[in-house]
Amino acid sequence: MGVLKEEVINETTINKSQYSPIKEFWKNWKRQKVAFSASLFVLLLIIIAFVGPYITPYDPYEPNYNSILQGPSSSHLAGTDEYGRDIFSRLIYGTRISLSVSFISVFFGAVVGTILGLISGFFGGFLDRIIMRSSDVMFAFPDIILAIAIIAILGPGLVNVVIAIAVFTVPSFARLIRGATLEVKETVFVEAARSMGAKKTRIIYKHIFPETFSSLMVFFTMRIGTAILAAASLSFLGLGASPGTPDWGAMLTMGRDYLGTSSHVVIMPGIAIFLTVLAFNLVGDGLRDVLDPKTKNH
Amino acid sequence: MIKGNGIKLLFVLFLSMLIVACSTEGSVESDPEDNSSDKGSNDNVVIEDEGNKRDEIVIAVNENFITMDPHNSGDRNSNAVQGAMLEGLIDERDGEIVPVLAEDFEVNDDATEFTFYLREGVVFHDGQPFNAEAVKANFERITGDQSLRLYSRGFNDITDIDVIDEYTIKITLSQSNSSMLTKIVPARMISPKALKEEDLTRNPVGTGPYKFVEWVPGDHLTVELNENYWNQGQAKVQKITYRPVPENGARVAMLKTGEADFIFPVPTQNLAELEEDENIIVETNQSTIARYVSLNTMKEPFNDVRVRQALNYAIDKDAFINVVMAGFATPLDSVLPSTIFNYQQQELYQYNIERAKELLAEAGYENGFTAEIWGNTNSDTVRGMQFIQQQLSQIGVELEVLSMEEGTLSERIYGGHGPEEAEVEMWYVSWGGFPSDTDHAIRPILGGNSFPPAGGNSAYFSNPEVDQWLFEANATVDAELKRELYGKVQQKIYEEAPWIFLASDENLFGRRADLEGVYVTPNGRIHVGYAEIK
Repeated sequence: MGVLKEEVINETTINKSQYSPIKEFWKNWKRQKVAFSASLFVLLLIIIAFVGPYITPYDPYEPNYNSILQGPSSSHLAGTDEYGRDIFSRLIYGTRISLSVSFISVFFGAVVGTILGLISGFFGGFLDRIIMRSSDVMFAFPDIILAIAIIAILGPGLVNVVIAIAVFTVPSFARLIRGATLEVKETVFVEAARSMGAKKTRIIYKHIFPETFSSLMVFFTMRIGTAILAAASLSFLGLGASPGTPDWGAMLTMGRDYLGTSSHVVIMPGIAIFLTVLAFNLVGDGLRDVLDPKTKNH
Repeated sequence: MIKGNGIKLLFVLFLSMLIVACSTEGSVESDPEDNSSDKGSNDNVVIEDEGNKRDEIVIAVNENFITMDPHNSGDRNSNAVQGAMLEGLIDERDGEIVPVLAEDFEVNDDATEFTFYLREGVVFHDGQPFNAEAVKANFERITGDQSLRLYSRGFNDITDIDVIDEYTIKITLSQSNSSMLTKIVPARMISPKALKEEDLTRNPVGTGPYKFVEWVPGDHLTVELNENYWNQGQAKVQKITYRPVPENGARVAMLKTGEADFIFPVPTQNLAELEEDENIIVETNQSTIARYVSLNTMKEPFNDVRVRQALNYAIDKDAFINVVMAGFATPLDSVLPSTIFNYQQQELYQYNIERAKELLAEAGYENGFTAEIWGNTNSDTVRGMQFIQQQLSQIGVELEVLSMEEGTLSERIYGGHGPEEAEVEMWYVSWGGFPSDTDHAIRPILGGNSFPPAGGNSAYFSNPEVDQWLFEANATVDAELKRELYGKVQQKIYEEAPWIFLASDENLFGRRADLEGVYVTPNGRIHVGYAEIK
C-alpha cells in the first residue's frame, strides 16, 4: 500500500500539465486490482438489479410442491427451497431488494447526515454541541439494537427497515462531514471567499461541500455494505421483509430449519450476502486509497 | 459418509461465520441457540463416565414452562412436567379412564353424582397423608376461584363435595355432565399444607413418582425420584432435568451428542439426520391436535358460507402435509382429529380449484379479495401461513401474512373486544385436547358461548343447532345417543366450514436408544412414570 501511495503522488506530479480529475481517478483506480474486480462485481449486481425480473429462469414466487428442497442441479442452479421455488431466481430478485433498500437508506442517511455535519462544523458553538451530543447518544446504541427499537415502534416491513437504517446512518455521516468541514473552514480559499463577502450558504455549498465530497463517496460505499448486512439481519430476525419475499435475509431465516438436511437453502443466500458485502467493502477501501488517502487510518 | 459429514460441517462453519459477521456488525443480542448449548455443557450433570450406568436423564422441550400450578395451566409443557410430580384421582390412557389415586369410582345414571374410592397409604412429598379431606381441599380451591383455568372447565357445575369417610369422597353437579370424569383428570392433587402455605406456581407438592427439586425459569427444572412413592419400582431413573430449548437445531444437537436423552417435539426437518444415527430412536404417534385456519364468520367476506367452502377447496391438503408437516400429519376430515372419541369422518373438501372459483363467483367474489392471516412467530407456523398464501392466490385471494409475537397475538385476539370489533380475519392455529373429551375438542373453540375472550372461538361461529346438540350430548350418559349427536355436530360444522380444515399432527419424539419407558401421549404429555436406562 505504501508503494501505491508513492506512485499516486508521482503520477500526480508528472501529469500536472494535463490534469483531469476523472482521467486521474481512472488511472489510479485501474491499479487497485482487488477493488477494481470488486467494482466489476458491484456493477454486475447493479445490472442484475435492473434487469433481474427479465432474466430469471423461473418465477421466484411460483411454488412447485413436487420438487421441494432439491439440491443444485442443471435445471435449478442453486437448488429449490421448501416450497420448490427456484433459489437462483429468488436470489436475482433479492439483489434488487437488497441493493435498493441499502442504497435508498444510506442515501437518505447521508443527505441528512451531511447537512447536519456541515452546519455543525461550519457554525460551531451551540448548534454544534447539540448535533454532536445527539449523535453521541445514538452512537451509544449498537446499530442493530437501534434499528430494532425503531422497527418496534414503526412495525415490521421493508419501508421501515429503510427508515431504521437511514436513522442509524445519520450520525456517522454527520460526524465525518463535521470533521472535514472543520478542516476546510480554516483553509485560505474559504478565508478569501469570506473576506470577499460571500454568503454563508454559498461558502458551505460552493466551497466546503465539494472538498468533503471524496470522503463522502468513500464512506457512502462502505455504508452500503453495512446497510445490506443490517437489512439482512433485520429480515433474519423477522423484522424486515415479510417471509414470502425473496429477500436474502428472509430466505436465510426460513431456510435455517433445513440447515442439517438441505443446507443449500441457507448457503446460497448466505454466499450472496457475503460476496455483496465484501465487494462493497473492497470497493470502499479502494476508493479511499485513491480519493482520500489521508483518512486511511480512521 | 465421513466425507459427506465433513462437507456439512464446513457448511455449518461457514454459515456460523456469516452469522457472526452479521452480529458483530451491530452486536445482535446473543441468540438463544448459543446460550442454551453453552449452559448445557457448563452446569450440566448428565454426561456421566462411560461404562457406569447413568441414572439421570435430560429431557429437552421446545418452550419454557409457565407455571407449576396444575389447576391453572394451559400449556402442554407445564402439564408435562407437572405429570411427573403430581397425580390426579384418575388418568386417561389410550382413551380409557384409568384409576390412579382413586382405586375405583362410580357415576350415577344421569351423570350428576361421582363417587371416588381413594387409594390408602399414599403420602404427599411433604409427608402429609392423602385422604378424602385432601381431595376436598383441592376441589374446593378450584370451585372457589374463578380465575383458575379448571374452574370453567366443569368445576363450576360442582355444588357439593362430601367426604363420606376417610377414603371416600362424592361430588355432586348442578347439571348432568357425562364428560366430567375427563375434566377431573387434569385436577391433580396438591398437598393440603402446600395449598395453604406455598406459592403454587413455583412449588408443586404432590404424590407423584418424582419430587420437585428446583426450577430456574428459562433454563431448567429438576425433579428427583420419590423414595416413598406408592407405586414403587416403576420409575428407575433417579433424577430428571427438563430443559426448554426453543431452537430446533439446538434441541436436535443435544439429542445427537447425548446431552439430552429425550426431546419433544422432533422437528420434522431434522428427522432424516436423526434416523441415520443408531443411538437415537424417533417415535411417532397420532396426536389429538387439529390444525386449522379459523375464519371470522361475522366479517365479510367470510360471513358467506360459499366463500369459506371455496377456501377449503382451494387448499391441497396432501401438499400441505408434505411441504409444511414434512409428511407427518393426516388430513383433517372432520372438526375432530381421528384420535378424539366420537370422531366421524366427513367427506373431505378435495382440492379443486375450479370448484373453489365457482363458489367464489357465486358469492360475488369472482375477482377474489384480500385478507390478513395471523399466526405466531414459530417457523412452522410461518411456513404454514405462507403455504396458505400461495394456495389461495390461485383463486385470486391475496393474503397478507402477519406473524406476531405470541403475547401480541393473544392480546389482539383475546383483548376483550366483542365480536363486532374483532379485527381477526384468519388465524392459523391448532387445538389439542384429551382423547376421551369430545366436548372439550369442540365447544371451547366453536361453541356459541365461547367467543373471545371467554373462549377460543375466533371464528365467531355460532350455530344454535350445534350448540343444542353439544348441550344434549354433554347431558347424556347414553353412548349411542352421544355418538349420534356428535355425528350431527361434526357434519354441520364441516359443512358450515368456519375453518379451513388442514391436518391433524403426528407427535414426533426422539430418545437415546438406551432410555426406555418415556413416551409422549396423544395430547402431547411426556410420560416419565416408567423411565429406565437399559
